[in-house]
Amino acid sequence: MDDKVRVAEQQDLDTLESLREADADLRLPAVVEPVAYPLETLTPVARQQTPAVGQRAPRPDGRLHGLGQTKYIDDMTFPDMIHAKVLRAGIASARIISIDVSEAEAMPGVLATLVGKEIPVNSYGPSIQDQPLLADEFVRHAGDGVAAVAAVSEQIAKDALAKIKVEYEPIEPVFDPLEAIKEDSIKVHPTASNIYASKIVKKGDVEKAFAESAHIFEDQYRTQMVEHVPMEPHASIAMWDANERVSLWSSLGRITLGRADMARVLNMPVNRVRMIATIVGGNFGGKNELTTEPVLALLSKKTGRPVKGVYSREDEFISSTTRHPFIMDYKTGVSAEGKILARKVRLILDGGAYCSWSETTLGKACILSPGPYNIPNVHIEAYVTYTNKTMTGAMRGFGAPQVCFAYESQMDDIARKLGIDPLEIRMMNAFEEFADSPTGQVLESVVVKDSLKIAADRFGWKENG
Amino acid sequence: MTDVTLTVNGKERSASVPPETTLLEMLRSKLNLTGAKLGCDVGDCGACTVLVAGKSVNACLMLAVQANGRDVLTIEGLATAEAFHPLQKTFEELASLQCGFCGPGIILSAKTLLDENPDPTVQEIKDALAGNLCRCTGYTKILEGVVDAARIMNGKQDAA
Repeated sequence: MDDKVRVAEQQDLDTLESLREADADLRLPAVVEPVAYPLETLTPVARQQTPAVGQRAPRPDGRLHGLGQTKYIDDMTFPDMIHAKVLRAGIASARIISIDVSEAEAMPGVLATLVGKEIPVNSYGPSIQDQPLLADEFVRHAGDGVAAVAAVSEQIAKDALAKIKVEYEPIEPVFDPLEAIKEDSIKVHPTASNIYASKIVKKGDVEKAFAESAHIFEDQYRTQMVEHVPMEPHASIAMWDANERVSLWSSLGRITLGRADMARVLNMPVNRVRMIATIVGGNFGGKNELTTEPVLALLSKKTGRPVKGVYSREDEFISSTTRHPFIMDYKTGVSAEGKILARKVRLILDGGAYCSWSETTLGKACILSPGPYNIPNVHIEAYVTYTNKTMTGAMRGFGAPQVCFAYESQMDDIARKLGIDPLEIRMMNAFEEFADSPTGQVLESVVVKDSLKIAADRFGWKENG
Repeated sequence: MTDVTLTVNGKERSASVPPETTLLEMLRSKLNLTGAKLGCDVGDCGACTVLVAGKSVNACLMLAVQANGRDVLTIEGLATAEAFHPLQKTFEELASLQCGFCGPGIILSAKTLLDENPDPTVQEIKDALAGNLCRCTGYTKILEGVVDAARIMNGKQDAA
């Protein structure tokens, strides 16, 4: 025997016990157990430059875009696929007395119709489930869907919509958010108030600071409703298989949320819903929630065929979410030199007919509404109200652009009145490193002043201003 | 049903379509050329742009029968097996497109321009692309892409 041969150290073999442990580990709940704080966390160093900055990075999808080979939902097709269209109410507020789809169903080429009453759980929404997929009892805005048709061609589906007879009993609508927030206003939903979310932020004592201010500025600012207008309209394809599972190819951006919502409205376990997201032709916040996916799924269940539904540009405008119009009252107390001492803000958000992402928008608008300025005394109140208009939801910035328009407009007014350079008044009041935000957050990596200075130098603020 | 025969990307293609079928619909659903997109269906957005007899048209506004017997170029026919069109190259390099939905239309409108005017000014490029909307990019990189492509194409012409 050769003693020089080195024998490898014996490895511990997996015992049946250890394998069982591994199996038990796999069965652990997906949610980790809560840990007692404080946790030691790795905080990235502020202003650390990563090697990526300044590098060219080609988009992985750029080549296919230019070759026209990117497949969006509407570019996909399945054998025996049919097409769905949704009939929109066209009336802002009404009770639905009856929906008669018999003539549409009798049309050659029409394979199925669907009304709200056939949907297992006809309500959804990211935070408040207040929106029907197809209105069954009440119409709350003109873009509400009331019935859907699936036919062998899109044109036949469109023609069939004209054959659906819906009888409405009109209800007086409310459009003005300032009317809608009143106690005795017409109610959009069967709730005691049209206000469905609110927030108050307080810091210091605004009334005391107003009394000590040299100047008080009071203004109202309003912004309008804005549609996202993605180049690609909302599109989905649903396929309900014989095994009671549904697959969806959708332009939806938030598929995990959409999948949970699908399971909820179809009243089926979430593991039977498969959501497939592909390239989205522009989202901007408008494709963050379900639209007609469950309707297509049920039409597929009825017909046994894959069903495609693509929004027309009109559907996009009247039925998909939009940016909240804001009515913003700003009262600002300023010292003789131009230091902001106090700011009181009241925001009224026009939420339209359904909640959608209003709560998120309200929260973000609230905390950003005083602007990036050191203001020791702040009072913010914000309300979002139902009106009989197209619902408003997520759109780039979640309320930040609206309040920015208001506070920056007022900063200009203050500068003009006090005879201070508009840049100067911002430099005097803007956040610095470790500034305290209105909600008490200590801010890091604050470069507002540096940015303003660099920008002013670059375009010659002094010379051209 | 109406029979329509087109020369699409150099090959003769025929289909039998209902008379109300648009050129866009025929290209997309009968010929499986999905590069041209349906964005607005009313000729505002330009996502459906294709070239018919060398001119850029909104394929959503033209009936398939109106294009009968004519030459149609879609985005799928712009690159050859050997080479991309310079516009496709510069658009990729500059990341001119984000979501990409407007891309095929914009590239074809730009191609029409460069075919007619090999050395356009930025204003001329803007005018040529006025019928093509892009929602993502703000157009900056698209304009740069067209300028660069013109430069490449002129370089090639000089060399030849």
